[in-house]
Amino acid sequence: MNEIMLEAFAVILIPVIAGILALKEYRISSVATSAIEVLISIAIFLSGNSSGIFYINAVSKVFILMVASVYLLSTIYSMEYLEKGTWLRHSYYFLLFNFFTASMMFALTINNYGLMWVGIEATTISSAILIMTEKTEISTEATWRYILIVSAGVTFAFISIILIYYNFGTLDVSSILSRSPGNSLVLRLIVSISLVGFGTKVGIFPVHTWLPDAHSESPAPVSAMFSGVLLPTALYVVYTIYRIDEFHELYIWAGTVSVVFASIFLGSQRKYKRMFAYSTMENMSIALIGFATGTVVGIAGALLLLVAHSFGKASAFYSSGNVLKSYGEKDIERVSGVARAMPVTGSSLILSSLAVTGTPPFGTFFGEFLILYAVYSGGYIIPFVLLAIFIPVAFISVNYNVTRMAFGHESKMRENNRRMPYIALVPAIISLAVGIGFLVVTYALV
Amino acid sequence: MSAAIAISAFYIQGQEYMRSLVRGQLIQSVLIAVASFLLAYYERSIDLLILGILLIVLRGILVTYFLLRQLPRRRSYLYERNVSVPALLLVDLVFVVIATFLVYSLAFSRVVPHSFLQNSSVLLFPLILFFQGLFLITSRRGTITQVVGYVEEENALILFGLFLLPVPIIIEASVFLDVLALVVISTVVTQEKDRHEPVEELKG
Repeated sequence: MNEIMLEAFAVILIPVIAGILALKEYRISSVATSAIEVLISIAIFLSGNSSGIFYINAVSKVFILMVASVYLLSTIYSMEYLEKGTWLRHSYYFLLFNFFTASMMFALTINNYGLMWVGIEATTISSAILIMTEKTEISTEATWRYILIVSAGVTFAFISIILIYYNFGTLDVSSILSRSPGNSLVLRLIVSISLVGFGTKVGIFPVHTWLPDAHSESPAPVSAMFSGVLLPTALYVVYTIYRIDEFHELYIWAGTVSVVFASIFLGSQRKYKRMFAYSTMENMSIALIGFATGTVVGIAGALLLLVAHSFGKASAFYSSGNVLKSYGEKDIERVSGVARAMPVTGSSLILSSLAVTGTPPFGTFFGEFLILYAVYSGGYIIPFVLLAIFIPVAFISVNYNVTRMAFGHESKMRENNRRMPYIALVPAIISLAVGIGFLVVTYALV
Repeated sequence: MSAAIAISAFYIQGQEYMRSLVRGQLIQSVLIAVASFLLAYYERSIDLLILGILLIVLRGILVTYFLLRQLPRRRSYLYERNVSVPALLLVDLVFVVIATFLVYSLAFSRVVPHSFLQNSSVLLFPLILFFQGLFLITSRRGTITQVVGYVEEENALILFGLFLLPVPIIIEASVFLDVLALVVISTVVTQEKDRHEPVEELKG
């Protein structure tokens, strides 16, 4: 077994071990293992590609690093966020949290479409109970919707796996992708069914309905994992199947329609966590379009957008968690004056909101810019025009609401934890650094 | 055989009593296992034989056990109220027939099974079953009923694979375990909430 194989094996196994250790002692084991996970994912990022048991390429390396980073941040944030006496005991929370990460890593690295499906289904199994950590009737209902809608969708996606095996006689990702693409009906069926099936997990319209419920009712670190890395992991699987037969028109149009509806839904949101959930739906749809263009510029834009968004959205949900802890309210209307009452959380809330809506110089801006350029130069004029109209609509909706929360009437609320605000601020700054780093590298190269 | 499986789906849709629903699921899983054994005999395939055994053990016995274990705890699980069975069966019949024939003729009619079932429209049956499962989930509010709908969808996939070209047994086994784990998790949720109605908090 060569070096990268060992690293890929480790990146799956380490969270599993952390999960088991968490039953005895969850604090040190979870933080230490998530830090090791980041180091190994950096090693994978710097290693070559692989196509043995594990299929690692330039795209999946970025996803692995992204998952590991948000995993570390969310683990640290969870330590502070979880209160004593939650329905789900802390040791079980970390057991499931670590298994959840392991299943994402499995789906990202395994060189088999069938096992990728198993990995995605395993993410549902391991993460469902996490939604009802602070069990309420509404969070139980959200958990149930998540289980049922996502499982029904992913089950549908299994038809595409059966058809892949029917068409190629193997489920090996690397060997299927190395064959020349055909244009038969079966191939079209495979990529179309996969878009609807796995698209449920990515949050593509109209199969996105679980997304706002699960995001709004989960504890903040779990929402951050959902938005920041779970949806991109499902998107990676969609993209890997899409590469079998690049059905550009269908994917670009599906992504565009999804952006349009996400932007419309964003305008009518009354709860800030649901608003951020719809913003995730919008960002995932834009990234899907980037991948669907099939050009280097589009794919690079999608990766840049996803990385900057994962940190930005993690920060947005951590900030939401801080606000919820202090104000005890989920309604945008009932929260105001955060910037003055809680300066650090206020800063992270504003920065993260700018980050997830593609404001320059955040990484998301350059990602969206590259994707729009790829769409335009690919000749998809109507999708380009629709995106150019509805991305700013989403920008205005989110930033208008966040501005109302951050400023508005003065409030007597205070931060109720010294460390949580700073943990929320770090990913927003990383998202900014991604954008500035991109600018610097581009400038140096040009 | 396929027709019997489709009829079992209608039987499930027609039940108000939870115990009969779970029994319907058991009958359906056993029927698919029998189909697997028959194909194993014709195709001389060990994999299909193992698949049939897995179906009986994991789906027939374990899933049924977990679902039935939930039943006696509360009275409300025994009977789902406000279900208009004749109307639902009628809508179901129309919905399934239209959906299946549309999907089949548009997409799957040119997908030919590898096995001795070539040149038959046998793929219609898993599609019928799939839409039946989907309809059961959307038309009913009870937790157990919705789980049975989900298991029915999974059964449809097994049948689809069985008729077309069964995927490697290791993948199939993982799928079975996944479904089992989901059923177990569902039972945790079931203990907390037995009906699912629209919620004001989760609108928009």
